Amino acid sequence: MLVEMRGITKVYPDGVVALRGVDFEASEGEIHGLLGENGAGKTTLMRILYGEIKQTSGEVIFSGKAVSFKGPWDSMRSGISMVYQRFSLVPTMSVIENLHLYLSSLQSGIRIEEVRKRAEEIMERLKFRVPLEANVEDLAVGVQQRAEIMKVLLSKPKLIILDEPTSVLTPIEIRELFRILKELKEDGITIIFITHKLKEVKEITDRVTILRKGERVGTYETPSVSEEELAVMMVGRGITPAKRGAPSLGREVMRVEDLWVRDDRGLHAVKGVSFELHEGEILGIAGVQGNGQLELAEALAGIRGVERGRIIIDGKDITNLPAEARYREGLAYIPDSRAVGLVLEMNLVENSILTSLRDFLGKGSRIIWPLASSRAGEIIERFNVIGSLRGQVKYLSGGNQQRLLVGREIIKAPRVLIVSEPTQGLDLAATEFIRSTLLKFREEGRSIILISTDLDEIFELCDRIAVIYEGRFMGMGRNENFTLERLGLLMGGVNA
Amino acid sequence: MRKVILEVSLSIILSFLIGYTTLILMGYDATKVFSIVIREGLSNPTYLMIRSTPLILTALAFSIPSLVGVFNIGGEGQFYLGALSSLLIAHITGNSLLSIITGMAAGGLLSVLIAVIKVKRGVNEVVTSIMFNWIIYFSLLYLISTYLFDPLMPYQSISVPKTARIDYLIVHIQIPAIFPIAVLTSLVMYFLLYHSALGYKMRVVGISPKAARYAGFDPESSIILSMLIGGAMGGLGGSLLILGHTHAIDSTMSGLYGMGFAGIGAGLLGRNNPIGIILSSIFLSMLIIGGEAAELRARVPTELADALIGMIVIVLSAPYIVRLVRVRR
Repeated sequence: MLVEMRGITKVYPDGVVALRGVDFEASEGEIHGLLGENGAGKTTLMRILYGEIKQTSGEVIFSGKAVSFKGPWDSMRSGISMVYQRFSLVPTMSVIENLHLYLSSLQSGIRIEEVRKRAEEIMERLKFRVPLEANVEDLAVGVQQRAEIMKVLLSKPKLIILDEPTSVLTPIEIRELFRILKELKEDGITIIFITHKLKEVKEITDRVTILRKGERVGTYETPSVSEEELAVMMVGRGITPAKRGAPSLGREVMRVEDLWVRDDRGLHAVKGVSFELHEGEILGIAGVQGNGQLELAEALAGIRGVERGRIIIDGKDITNLPAEARYREGLAYIPDSRAVGLVLEMNLVENSILTSLRDFLGKGSRIIWPLASSRAGEIIERFNVIGSLRGQVKYLSGGNQQRLLVGREIIKAPRVLIVSEPTQGLDLAATEFIRSTLLKFREEGRSIILISTDLDEIFELCDRIAVIYEGRFMGMGRNENFTLERLGLLMGGVNA
Repeated sequence: MRKVILEVSLSIILSFLIGYTTLILMGYDATKVFSIVIREGLSNPTYLMIRSTPLILTALAFSIPSLVGVFNIGGEGQFYLGALSSLLIAHITGNSLLSIITGMAAGGLLSVLIAVIKVKRGVNEVVTSIMFNWIIYFSLLYLISTYLFDPLMPYQSISVPKTARIDYLIVHIQIPAIFPIAVLTSLVMYFLLYHSALGYKMRVVGISPKAARYAGFDPESSIILSMLIGGAMGGLGGSLLILGHTHAIDSTMSGLYGMGFAGIGAGLLGRNNPIGIILSSIFLSMLIIGGEAAELRARVPTELADALIGMIVIVLSAPYIVRLVRVRR
């Protein structure tokens, strides 16, 4: 056994028990899946192994020796590396400079030529390429991730921990990542693959350990368990995916014509997007993160200025209306970040009125708090938010925050709902709840623009799909006209 | 809420302990010093109320912009300007109300200028605030010793005419009218912040500019508005002190100096909450008055009260540091 963790318990200072007596082991040269919902303790367990945090009790054995790492730098010396969801590269520096920076912390005084030589050696051996001279910020996310993997390979690790590595990748990039992982395995490197996606577990891992609510459910040879069995073990019960009924399209409610929008750096992020939206329709906008989705959503919501083009709702031109006025016209927007959609340091009641403040004002623009409280109570009840009205929203779990955010916008019964990554980072149960909520909203004859990088979500929910690439729609059509492959190609900018 | 009270009381107790130990190490009879500070600090309620009044207002001058995420360190300058313009208008018109309004307007205008420079040109408000503080300080000093001095008493400025002075609200129990004005203002500010749309928007902007933008609130106008209100509070502080207590500015400005900075401490101790600020200002004023008495009676250094207040503020920030460390571990 390369890694053995016995009876790991972690209690955070605020009393939250993240792990309860978890056993974990990974043997040499395997790809070991670590499967669980959000909050199951996957990342916590691996951060303990990596030496980033300390366990409350339990022991860690690595390469046959009991270890107690003082920090990541310590565990790296023993041959453990971790690749995070958010990469730790300096965006304004080139790849080779990043590699040099990283290696300097382990081997002071190492020269950049030496780093380059080693990097090229690795690329040769493992058959993957990273443009060493390019600036990190100019690279696609998938390539950045390869650079990150290259970085950890330089320290000649025995074990690499990957934390949800596929969450930001396109299907094609995922395929490439898996190929590289198999090469690494051939090379004798052990890989721990943290994920909550069942398909990926089946596809890439040799064995899988399932965690649920801080406890180990079990460890299995991957071929011996089915996706359904894994799902039940992960969630604790079966999950029935939401079913989309046949579409019943009404009249057109929204029309966007030749929309041009600039991003924060002043560059064109949306380049001439046009579409129309009908009653009872969900229009999906698929694409890799950072292809103009944020700017498009913000321009539609009125948060970001439009350079050219028109936005029309119910025949009324709203292109120049500010956000607050658009919200009153029956538009609602759920941003992809909960830190934007919610004021985390305010309580539930205060958050419930954020986007409809006017409805809660009395004489002299006084806020009628009892009215706000009853709205908050309504959201809590209808959308199963678990939390107290007077508690700050930051203490809610991600799933509850998301329910609050989605609930707050849906309860206003807008005519058009723009929603961005509604289930990002949510566990299976919360995801299905949000998806079925959106579908129910559609059944009521209302319209949704769903921006998502999750292709399963796009296929599951949308009547029509548009693919955005570098600010342009690469293709738009009915759900049935797309396959995963075609979607993947379009997302990568290839006409198909 | 309970946690806030606990943190504030703990920090006060802890800083007292530190002050106590320091005094012993310096060879003073610490028990005696502290009993003088507290006894003398509370011995004259009227004087305590008078001293608390400007402090409540300069604390608001700091705290209201602070809730919107602006660090208004210019309370000092806004306070001076309020005092000066109030004095001038009172001298010319003899009307207290007019004089108060002018004082608030002057303070407000100054802080709006700082806010506009910040919003439109991206200049950090701390830099401009400190510069304005000094510009106004020396201008005022110059004006008082050259044009505005009283020919009969050249060590001070012209004074507020009897008709414009604000006297006791209830004479026989000696409540100076300026104190209830300050308390009432504080309550109005509480209402504004926590029960009005304007205050709600300001708080959202302060906590999360991104969320504010998403909700369709304009962060810039909230910043400017909060500074306008803050500056007006600072100006009102100067105005009330002049009209209700000193009636003139001494030519060294010792009666005004430092009040704006003390307000920062009072604002922090009151946790930027207008009601907390009323309490913290009274408490700090007690320490200041007691500290002055202790200097005379026990010969401890003048800086005792200042040091204690500084200590309280430092200890108050300790919970933040603890939280920060906890999050990292």
